[in-house]
Amino acid sequence: MSPAKWDVVVIGAGPGGLAASIAADKAGASVCLVEREARPGGILKQCIHDGFGLVRFGRKLTGPEYAFLDIEEVKGRGIKLFTETFLLDLDRSEEGFVLTLQNSEEAVFRLEAKALVAATGCRERTARQVFIHGQRPAGVYTAGTVQRLINISGYLPGKNCVILGSGDIGLIMARRLTLEGAKVLGVYEIKPEPSGLTRNIVQCLEDYNIPLHLSTTVTEVHGTERLEGVTVCRVDENMRPLPGSEEYVPCDTLVLSVGLIPENDILHPLGVEIDPRTGGPVVDQLLATSEAGLFSCGNALHVNDLVDYVSESGEIAGASAARHALGDYRPPRHVPILAKGEILYAVPQRLDVSLGGQGILYFRAARTLTDAALVISAGGRVLGEKKYKSLRPPEMERIVLDLSLVPAGEENIVLELRG
Amino acid sequence: MEKLLVCIQCPQGCKLMVKTEGEEVLVAGNKCPRGASYARQELLNPCRTLTTTVRTEFPDFPLLPVRTAGEIPLGSLFAAMGEINRLLVRNRLRPGDVVLERVSGTDVPLIATADMTLN
Amino acid sequence: MAKKLKSVIKELRKFGLTGVCPREWRSSIVLEGEVDSWQEYIAAGYAAAGKGYKGVVNDLRVPGLEPLKEYLPPGRGGALAGKSYDVVIIGGGVIGCAVARELTRWDLRVALLEKEDDVAKQTSSRNNGMIHPGLAAPTGSKKHSYNIRGNRMYTQVSQELGFEFHRCGSVVMLEKSFYRLALPYVRRKALKKGVDGLEILSRQEVSRREPNATDRQRGGIFLPSTGVVAPYMVTVAYAENAVENGAEVHLNTAVLGFEMEGDRIVGVRTNQGVLRARVVINAAGVWADNIAGYANDRFFSIHGRKGTIAIVDKALGSTQSAVLAMPQLGVNTHTKGGGLNPTVEGNLLLGPTAIEVPQREDWSTTAGEMELLLSRHLSLNRRLRPRDIITYFAGVRACTFEEDFIIEPSEYVANLVHAAGIQSPGLASAPAIAEDVAAMTVEILKKTREVKRNPAFNPVRRLTPQLAKLSLAERAEVIRKNPAYGKIVCRCEVISEGEIVAAIHSPVPAATVDAVKRRVRAGMGRCQGGFCTPALLEIVARETSRSPGDVTKGRPGSRMLAEETKAGGKTG
Ligand SMILES: Cc1cc2nc3c(=O)[nH]c(=O)nc-3n(C[C@H](O)[C@H](O)[C@H](O)COP(=O)(O)OP(=O)(O)OC[C@H]3O[C@@H](n4cnc5c(N)ncnc54)[C@H](O)[C@@H]3O)c2cc1C
Ligand SMILES: Cc1cc2nc3c(=O)[nH]c(=O)nc-3n(C[C@H](O)[C@H](O)[C@H](O)COP(=O)(O)OP(=O)(O)OC[C@H]3O[C@@H](n4cnc5c(N)ncnc54)[C@H](O)[C@@H]3O)c2cc1C
Repeated sequence: MSPAKWDVVVIGAGPGGLAASIAADKAGASVCLVEREARPGGILKQCIHDGFGLVRFGRKLTGPEYAFLDIEEVKGRGIKLFTETFLLDLDRSEEGFVLTLQNSEEAVFRLEAKALVAATGCRERTARQVFIHGQRPAGVYTAGTVQRLINISGYLPGKNCVILGSGDIGLIMARRLTLEGAKVLGVYEIKPEPSGLTRNIVQCLEDYNIPLHLSTTVTEVHGTERLEGVTVCRVDENMRPLPGSEEYVPCDTLVLSVGLIPENDILHPLGVEIDPRTGGPVVDQLLATSEAGLFSCGNALHVNDLVDYVSESGEIAGASAARHALGDYRPPRHVPILAKGEILYAVPQRLDVSLGGQGILYFRAARTLTDAALVISAGGRVLGEKKYKSLRPPEMERIVLDLSLVPAGEENIVLELRG
Repeated sequence: MEKLLVCIQCPQGCKLMVKTEGEEVLVAGNKCPRGASYARQELLNPCRTLTTTVRTEFPDFPLLPVRTAGEIPLGSLFAAMGEINRLLVRNRLRPGDVVLERVSGTDVPLIATADMTLN
Repeated sequence: MAKKLKSVIKELRKFGLTGVCPREWRSSIVLEGEVDSWQEYIAAGYAAAGKGYKGVVNDLRVPGLEPLKEYLPPGRGGALAGKSYDVVIIGGGVIGCAVARELTRWDLRVALLEKEDDVAKQTSSRNNGMIHPGLAAPTGSKKHSYNIRGNRMYTQVSQELGFEFHRCGSVVMLEKSFYRLALPYVRRKALKKGVDGLEILSRQEVSRREPNATDRQRGGIFLPSTGVVAPYMVTVAYAENAVENGAEVHLNTAVLGFEMEGDRIVGVRTNQGVLRARVVINAAGVWADNIAGYANDRFFSIHGRKGTIAIVDKALGSTQSAVLAMPQLGVNTHTKGGGLNPTVEGNLLLGPTAIEVPQREDWSTTAGEMELLLSRHLSLNRRLRPRDIITYFAGVRACTFEEDFIIEPSEYVANLVHAAGIQSPGLASAPAIAEDVAAMTVEILKKTREVKRNPAFNPVRRLTPQLAKLSLAERAEVIRKNPAYGKIVCRCEVISEGEIVAAIHSPVPAATVDAVKRRVRAGMGRCQGGFCTPALLEIVARETSRSPGDVTKGRPGSRMLAEETKAGGKTG
């Protein structure tokens, strides 16, 4: 097997990977995409609802429509796409990376890449990870699985559903299940406020009279064969169940929308540095990871709220990977970004100050804030400032920093959010 | 008629109060004109884009994602679902292709949102 | 009054259990009457144990306690009516399946009856998968001798049956320095017991061997013969090899009673009709006392002891190579205390806990048990955090009050062999238990006719390709021959469609989603089936000619889907 050589290989053909491959191609690199599913588009294939693309295209698109625009461009540019192709092994080689892959047509084969973009998306947190107890009856699903069953396979998982978690995916599925003929008995959220967008609270719950129970969680599932009911329970300020507030809700399906986790399994063997707060790699503004030549974007980097930002990060990672592959490599000079105050996390986690230009920073607030102020400073000097009327953890914020403002020789850059 | 709403035009989420007084519609709580027109619309004729799927006769693509090309009255969503659930797609459609000319008594067409020719 | 009866009465009084009336029956002691709580029921059972009786039959009533629930498969039919076998084995756990395989060495008609929808559904898939070294069981007990023998047999059995067996060893750590004084005694005891190899380790030696072991340790011992297996894989492998050699496995088939003629069982009543058997083997796990009762031979009773186990993400599997344990003196005497053990798949298992439970098929987990696990064992390995736990489950041990295995031909029924009370280390002992139970069975059969060897017996199980075990070249070859092996369905565990299809058509066919998972581990990784469940459903449906709506997770009735959407669209 003499491996085919590419400048850039992009792993994952969701919106992040599609944008990365287009950007790398635009920058003049030879690029191919590797996708394990039968079709490109990633999770957008099953997100048939609308609301995507307002930032990037100024239009309200459905998930498949959003993906279609990028897929058309990938096809138009003649970018090679391997589908139903699974990455078995990823290793360093002299010139960059060597990938060992398998699919039905070519059995086992290798690709070599000077630079790599990991755009592998995220996976869902499961019932056991939120510590729901009881037996293990059929009828407990994550929201993404339900979405796939209904929208791709055409099956209704159950008729009487309880949804745990008020994130957008849970809200969207409440509406979808209702429209397809199931009864959604309620959405239960452990926090005192909903996680999803107000628009989704209105259009997915209120439109259909689906009750939302805050500060309430599911603690136990009942039934041995098929789910027969769940115990719901109110929680205190520390999110601990309040004894005596248990209530039994009969239902045949429990849908979990309890969070997403970046999927970076393929990076473990390379020892890439991971940020425990985001679950994704530690990167700089080029989205370069701790491993030279390896770039990260999309939900694999951190869980994004809007697909538009996923595409943006894909474009940055793709362009950076192309530059790296085409030989424009200077050793970086990294300065860490210290997130302080009310910040949940910030990406990138460091800046390469040997470069000029602009750096895009994303952050999330640790809690709901009104009249908040973000200050970026270095060595006591303020580099930028922004005021926010309101900030909520589910919504990601984006700011652009002029890197020429960063004074030479600073040890770190401080990002501080005050409520 | 009277209604309490949370505005969804921007992330600020103003709490709106809207009511009719005779011919007139009064809105309170909005910080901008977009809030006022949103409240008026929600009170008099709330409309939504319907996104769902249609059966196809292709085993490799059993369901085609679709949406209404514009908004239709909130009250007609279930009637529209009933109608759409009886459809069967016999051609490989692409985004924008019309699946149904008029959805449930409106003049809004139902269009494909995914590319069935892709594989 | 016999001396032993007196000592039972005395012991019961000591615990204030005055409502208990003990009575001798054959060579056992039967407890009758009423007690106030489940705790008292258990205390009374143990009070009567060890007083020289063959068994304790605990028939005490506990008012207000939920009646014992036993799962019975819903189907009724006559599929087995009138069929006749040399041997009928009741129970498709590791014991029943291993016995079936050992019996196929002989030219016999063997049928195994299992009430669940698959083999290894009860205790044999709900345990730690440890092949203990044999140090913990009391010297001279059946547990002890079968454990030592079974442990040694695993090397050969794993090769013949093609399941993974890792002799990873175990490090038993000491919490206090002065415990070291006991180590020379432990070494002598181990030697006497026949435990293979034992090393005494200093604190430094423990941390050299296990760099992530807790700082609290003050040295310990290393037991090199400890191993791990995937218990359901062992059970399935035994069952498949049995079927390959001519045995029949009947799932969803429950034994409901016996037809007796004098001291012989002549008919085995099931939900699929009455069948005939020359010898019956009782390997019914937590229900073995019921089965004995059907033949009026209930000389022991079983009570359940639940154990909860948590699974740690594979990403941390490499932080530890041996089993780690740190016994807490004085804590619970009926379990080895649990710890942290590797699995053959590369995860770590935390636990088990041990708590006596009235319901024998209640495998639910509770928050309290989980907290106990986390506080007791997680810190044995310094790298682990609560968030590294991907899932958890519980199993119920089938305990007798004597706390030992019962492996013997019935004293009163001419054609019944018991393999009962097989709690831990039952898995470790299974190969040896099976050998003996098969020998006892053949002995009984020989009384009435000649028993010949099975000339076609092949101890080696036929294997279908397992991609994870192949070199890249072999993998490519398999995919070229059958492209279904090129398509990965379960991403977390990297399982191909080809492997799933092979499991569905294996000698003990996997007809449910969970049965597929048990055989190939699809859906058992970090995403817990989130991604692959829809695909698995479709493959199982296609390969078993059903609609996905009729595919179950496990038992009949555990349907995964409610209905097809837009069925109207089908007719156009
Ligand atoms: C169930 C669900 C519902 C969502 N709903 C919304 C929503 O309504 N609105 C919204 O804005 N956002 C939503 N999101 C967030 C959404 O994921 C992002 O907006 C966006 O789709 C992320 O793009 P991505 O390219 O990073 O990841 P994905 O879209 O997940 O794409 C990753 C791709 O990589 C492939 N891949 C992964 N690992 C490998 C490998 N080892 N080899 C080959 N290929 C691989 C995957 O198959 C997949 O195609 C949702 C996410 C989930 C999980
Ligand atoms: C938490 C826990 C951890 C453990 N860890 C270990 C360990 O690490 N190492 C070790 O060696 N041992 C361990 N054990 C013990 C070990 O799991 C058991 O000893 C072993 O699995 C017992 O196997 P079995 O075949 O006797 O029982 P089972 O696997 O329970 O099989 C009995 C079968 O009989 C069937 N049955 C019952 N009644 C009927 C009927 N009327 N008709 C038809 N079928 C019937 C049941 O459905 C069941 O499938 C552990 C046990 C637990 C609970």
